[in-house]
Amino acid sequence: MQSRIIKNLRKDFLIEFRNRSALNISFAFAGITTLSVSLACGGASLSSQVNAVLLWVIIFFSGMSGLSHIFIREEEEKTALFLSLCSDPENIYLSKLLFNIILFACITALVTPLYLFFMQVVPVYILYFISTVAAGSLAVSSITTILGAMVAKAESRGSLFTVISFPVMIPVLWISIKLTADSIEGGAPPEVRSILFLLAFSGVIISVSYLVFKFIWTEN
Amino acid sequence: MHNKYSLNVNKISKRFGRQLLFRDISFSLVTGDSFFITGPNGSGKSTMLQIVAGLQKSTSGDVSFFMDEKKIPEDERFRHFGFASPAMNPYDTLTAVENIMFASSGIKKENIDEMLNLFGLYPHREKHVGIYSSGMKQRLRIILSMINSPGILLLDEPSSNLDSEGKDIVFSAIEKLREKTLVIIATNEHDEMKLCHKGIDIAEQNY
Repeated sequence: MQSRIIKNLRKDFLIEFRNRSALNISFAFAGITTLSVSLACGGASLSSQVNAVLLWVIIFFSGMSGLSHIFIREEEEKTALFLSLCSDPENIYLSKLLFNIILFACITALVTPLYLFFMQVVPVYILYFISTVAAGSLAVSSITTILGAMVAKAESRGSLFTVISFPVMIPVLWISIKLTADSIEGGAPPEVRSILFLLAFSGVIISVSYLVFKFIWTEN
Repeated sequence: MHNKYSLNVNKISKRFGRQLLFRDISFSLVTGDSFFITGPNGSGKSTMLQIVAGLQKSTSGDVSFFMDEKKIPEDERFRHFGFASPAMNPYDTLTAVENIMFASSGIKKENIDEMLNLFGLYPHREKHVGIYSSGMKQRLRIILSMINSPGILLLDEPSSNLDSEGKDIVFSAIEKLREKTLVIIATNEHDEMKLCHKGIDIAEQNY
C-alpha cells in the first residue's frame, strides 16, 4: 500500500513540476495579492481582525485554484482510467490528499511570512498563530481533496466546486480567522480547544472521505 | 507454474437512464480461452469490458473472478488483469519509461527495455508521451496492459490507430499470451476476432 501511495505521489509531483500550472497560479496569486494589499495600505496599521481576514482570504484563494485541480486534471486528460487500473481507490485518495496537504503547506509557508513582513504584523502568541495556520490549512486541504474528486466526476465542474465547498468551508475559515486574530492581538490566553476543533474537523472529513471515496471514484 | 483463472459473467445488464444498452449477458471463461465481444457502434462493447474489469457498475447481474478456484475480492481484481482501451490515456507529461514504471509492480529495467524494443518504442523511450502519434500511444497502451504479465487480459480495440507493422506486433504478442492467459477482446475488426476461440455479438446475444 505504502509503495503504491509513494508511486502515485511521485507521479503527481513530477507532473506538477513539469506543468507548474497549479503552482504558478497559486504562487502568482499569493505574491500579487500580498504585495497589492501592503501597497494599498501604505504602511497604515490594520486591526488584528482585518489582518486575519486578509491573511486567510489570500491563503484560501491561493490554494483553491491548485487544490481542486489534482482530480479534475485526471478526468480532463482522460488518465483517470489508467490511474484506476494501477491503484485501488483508497491509495488514490490518500496520495491525492497528501499531495494537496504538501502543496497547501508550501503555499501557506510562502504566503504567511510574506504577509507578516509586508504588513509589519508580529503575532503576540507566535506558536498559537503557527498552530492555527497549520490546522486551518490541513482542514482546507482535506475538504478540497474530496470535493475535487466529486467535482471531477460531475459534469458542471467549476461552478459545482464553488457551490458545494461553500457550506463546509465556512466553519473552518470562520474559526481560523477568529483564532488568527486572537493570536495577533494578544490579550486573553488563546483557546487550544478551537485548534483541536480544526484538527478534529479534518480528522472527520478525512475518515469519511476515505470510506466513501470508492463510491465517488467508480463509475455508476 | 501459472495460476489458473476463471471468470463468470452472470446475467449482466446495463442501463443509462431509461436507455437499455444490453440485457442478461452471461458467459464463463478459463485460462487459455480467448473471447471476443462484438456488436455495432454504441452497443456497449467497451462498457461491457469496463464492467468485467470492475471499472463500471452493472445495472444488474454480477461478475466473479477466481484464481485457482479461490474467489478474487472485487477490490483486488485490478492486480490480476491487464487492460487497454482507446479511452485509457497514459500520462502525457511523463515519458514512456516513467508511465511503464508507474504501472508496473516491481518489473526489472531489462524487461521494460525488452517490451519497448518489441513494440518499436525503444528509441522514443525518453520522450514525453504527449508528443507521441496516436499509433505510438496505442503501442504503449498495449505494453502497459501486458507489463505485469497479467492472468487476465482485457483489450478494447487493440489494433486501433496501428499501422500494419504495429498490428503484426500486437497480434503476435496476443497469440503468444493466449495459452497461459484469459483474453477478452472488444472489437469489430475481423482480424482481431480471428485471434479468439469464441465470442459474443452483444446486440444479438448469440453465444
